[in-house]
Order: sequence, then structure tokens, then C-alpha cells
Amino acid sequence: MLTFIKMEFLKLKRSNIFLLSLMGAVLPPLLMFIAVFAFDEGSTFDMLFTNVNMYMSALFAIMLFSIMISYLFGREYNEHTLKTMLTIPISRGKFLASKYVMFLVWILILTVVTSLSALVFGFIAGLEGFTLKLFMDSFAQLLFANILLFLTFSPFVFLSLFITNMVPAMVGGAGLTLVNMLIYGQTWAPYVPWVCPYLIASGEIAEYATSPTVSYGIILVTFLIGLAISYIYFTKTDVAI
Amino acid sequence: MADYVIETKDLSKIYSKTKVVDSINMHVEKGKIYGLLGKNGAGKTTTMCMLLNLTYPSSGEVFLFGKDPKKYSKEIYPKIGSIIETPGFYENLTAYENLKIIAKLRGEYNPVNINSVLKMVNLDQEKSKKFKDFSLGMKQRLGIAAAIMHSPELLILDEPINGLDPFGIKEIRTLLKRLSHEFGITILISSHILSEIENIADVIGVMDEGILIEEFTRDELFRKLNKHVEFEVSDVDLAVNILKKLDLRDNSDFTFNIDGKICLYSHLEMRDKFNALFVKAGVDVKKVNLCEENLEEFFTRFVSNN
Repeated sequence: MLTFIKMEFLKLKRSNIFLLSLMGAVLPPLLMFIAVFAFDEGSTFDMLFTNVNMYMSALFAIMLFSIMISYLFGREYNEHTLKTMLTIPISRGKFLASKYVMFLVWILILTVVTSLSALVFGFIAGLEGFTLKLFMDSFAQLLFANILLFLTFSPFVFLSLFITNMVPAMVGGAGLTLVNMLIYGQTWAPYVPWVCPYLIASGEIAEYATSPTVSYGIILVTFLIGLAISYIYFTKTDVAI
Repeated sequence: MADYVIETKDLSKIYSKTKVVDSINMHVEKGKIYGLLGKNGAGKTTTMCMLLNLTYPSSGEVFLFGKDPKKYSKEIYPKIGSIIETPGFYENLTAYENLKIIAKLRGEYNPVNINSVLKMVNLDQEKSKKFKDFSLGMKQRLGIAAAIMHSPELLILDEPINGLDPFGIKEIRTLLKRLSHEFGITILISSHILSEIENIADVIGVMDEGILIEEFTRDELFRKLNKHVEFEVSDVDLAVNILKKLDLRDNSDFTFNIDGKICLYSHLEMRDKFNALFVKAGVDVKKVNLCEENLEEFFTRFVSNN
């Protein structure tokens, strides 16, 4: 699996999408940095980290992750490389698993980039109240939210296999981001798989009447359904030439 | 019994009620170059995809190296190199990097081997160029490099000369012949270009509308080509009378026109005797040509008859 992941990284060499995703990971901290001056959006590291984590995992990550997943899978069809990979031979199950792992690794990289850039922007803005514990807690919160979010993206894997073009993923990601904005704060937010990762990670779920176990269950079921349909579809369908 | 590297039994593929491959029984012998000939849409690519497990058969069986590839996929597929239609590589990577990915995933990464295979397909000067900047011919050559890099025992090549210039075609043809004759690699190559198949293949399979009409060797193919003898004479009526007296029938054994041309379709081995008879009867014979049907004419006739 290590070789697979290394090769997935090599595939991203000189890739515009990878660079754009890194820029995307820096965007929420940059916007919050601007907001500190423009809208007086708090003057502490605590506030900056809280805002960055919320905007990243509850909104921006949805869009970003849908583009990433569509690129990871879709490019193998669009660049006609899937037939090359499968005839190496690589089993379809192993291929799918390596893509899932690569998606997770990519998310981890973006999480580190977001957290570190928030830290840098915080120092540039001269914010107060920095402690290493605060930073590590914030990083752990974002990491946890993004990992939970990763699990909810398995249905997008199926969509990327079914519609290999990146446009539907981008439209779907943008649509889901809007849905998240509308649902966030509503009583039934803990039931929506793409909202509850942030609610769980930030602890906001305690403010809702729903038990966190239900939200965990919803995330797990979403993951398993997405995983099952993507696996069945990918292993049972002919490769489009 | 022949040692078949590829054997199919009633292999079929149906796409939404249309049979694109219809019960084909293909036999590819070890060490031979098998040319799969057919028009676009004849079912060649689908057949090759089924052999490579990229497309699942609707019915029938495939045997590769005498074994069921479903059961022995890990043993069988590493012994195969392939190109299906346009070679697929990562556009943002160089030729070398693309081959490195394939070699690493095969567990056989060796920089010397990659450089030598790039040299073999004349891409050694372009190894640092990104794939997206490659011409169609270069892409095709890189596809061949990827297919032969791991010294396969079987090559499955779908239209590998597409996009190559005449020099490129010649190079690839020479390379494939060398791989087959020197290294004993079995090659299944498809093309809709008759002359290409004629030039390279030891055995030819003709496909049309999903059906493998027939398989024949090169020698059998040349025996199947229609031949006729063309006489150009000074007195066509007299010459025709001579042929009729020998019980040869007009429009069946021969045809003629008023310009003095007689085409003889049967008794070709007796053309010297006919010539002598014409001359003896006072007919000047200006030309005697043995004409052979070309491959294009044969293919058209063969497909329409079947």
C-alpha cells in the first residue's frame, strides 16, 4: 500500500489541482485574517482558530473535498489511465482502497496547511492569547472534523466513478456547501452527515437535543453505504475505454 | 495439439440487447503474430478488453496460457503487455515518470530498464518531456514502451500504429517482428488497415459485426486470393472461339471486351497452351498478365460473402 500511496503522490507532481487545494486550505485562515481587520472579528488566537475551523470543516472543505475526490478518481478515466493501471495488473479493490487512502492523506496534508497558516496569520495580525495547547487543541479539532468528513464523502466516490467529469462534483460540492449553510444551527443539523462532523468535533453537538451517538451512527452509515456502492459499481462494471 | 496462448470459447458481449461480440472462438498460438482484422466497430477492441478483464463477457470462456484468467489472474496478467486504443498516461508527468509509476506498481522498477525501453522506441531524447506535450505518434510509442517494459510473454495491441507516420509504422513493425521472432513473444494485434496486418501477421482472424468469420495463416490467405490471367490479343473473336472450342464458358471461365482483352478465371495453369494456340491460329498476343486480387478486394469480397 505504501508504494501505491507514493505513486499517488507522484501522480500529483506538477498537478494544478494539488496546488489549488493547498491554496484552498490557506483561504479560510486568510479570510479570517482579513476579517480581523475589516470586521473586527476578534483579536485572540482562540477566536481565529474557532472561526477557521468552523469555516473550513463546515463549509469550505465540502467544496474542496468534492473537487479533490472527483480529480482523484475522474482523472483516471479522463486521461485514459484506468485501463493502464488495471492491466498492470492491479485489483480493482486494491485500486479503490489506495484512492481512499490517498484521499485521506491529502485531507491530512490540507489540515496541517490550514492549521499552520492560521497560526502564521495570527502572528502576523498580532493576535493575543497564543499557547501551544490552544494550537494543538485547535489542530486536533480540525483533524477530527476532517476525518469524520472524509467518512461522509464515500458517496461522492461513487458519484465520481459514475460521472467522471469534474463539473458535477463542483456543482454538487457548491450545492452541498449552501445546504450546510442553511442547515447549520437548525434543530435537525445533527442528522445531516456533512454538518455533524464539525458539530461533533467542536463540541457544539452538546447544544442539541440529539445524542452524539446518533450523529456518529449517521456518519458511519453514510460511509458504509458509499463504500459499498462504490465498490460494487467499480468491481462489477466494465471499464469505459 | 497446438499450444494456444489465447483461446476463447463462444465468447460474447451484449450491450443493451446488441451483440457486439458474437460467440467467437479465437485461437492464438504461442510465438505467433495474430492479426485481428476488421472494420471499425467490428468488435475487435471489445474482444481485447474481455481478454484483459477490462470488460466482462456476457457469456463464453477465455483461456490465457491455457488457464482461466479469473482463477489465475495474479499468475497470468503480469505476463501480458497491452495497449487498448489511445495509450493512457498522466498528462502532467514525463515519459520517464509515467513508466516509473507502472514499473513501481509492478514491483519491477529499474531505471536502466526504463531507459533502455525508451531507447528501443526512440523516445530516449524525450524522456523528460511531459506527456501532454507529446505528439500522437510519440504517445503511441510510449504506450508500446510501457507494454514491453516488463518483457511480457504476450502482447495485446489494439491499433498500435494509429497516429504513427510511415517511418514510425516501419519502426514499430520491425520491433514487433523482432519481439516475436527473436524473443518468442506472442502478439495479438488488431487493425483495420489491411496492409499492416498482411505485413506483420502470421495468422489472420477476420471479424465483422462481432463475428470472427475465419482464421487463416498468411499462406492460406494468399491461396484464397482470386487470380486471373489477362490476355491482350489482336483478334478477340478468333481467340474467344478457340477458348469456346476447348469447352471454356463465356462469363464463367472467361470474359472479354471489344478492346481485345480476355480475362481467364479458370484453367490458369494452361495459359501457356492457350497462348500457343492463339499464336498458331494467327492471333497476335500483345500481353499475358497473371493478375492477383489485392487484399482489399479480397477482404471486401470475403466479408460480403460471409
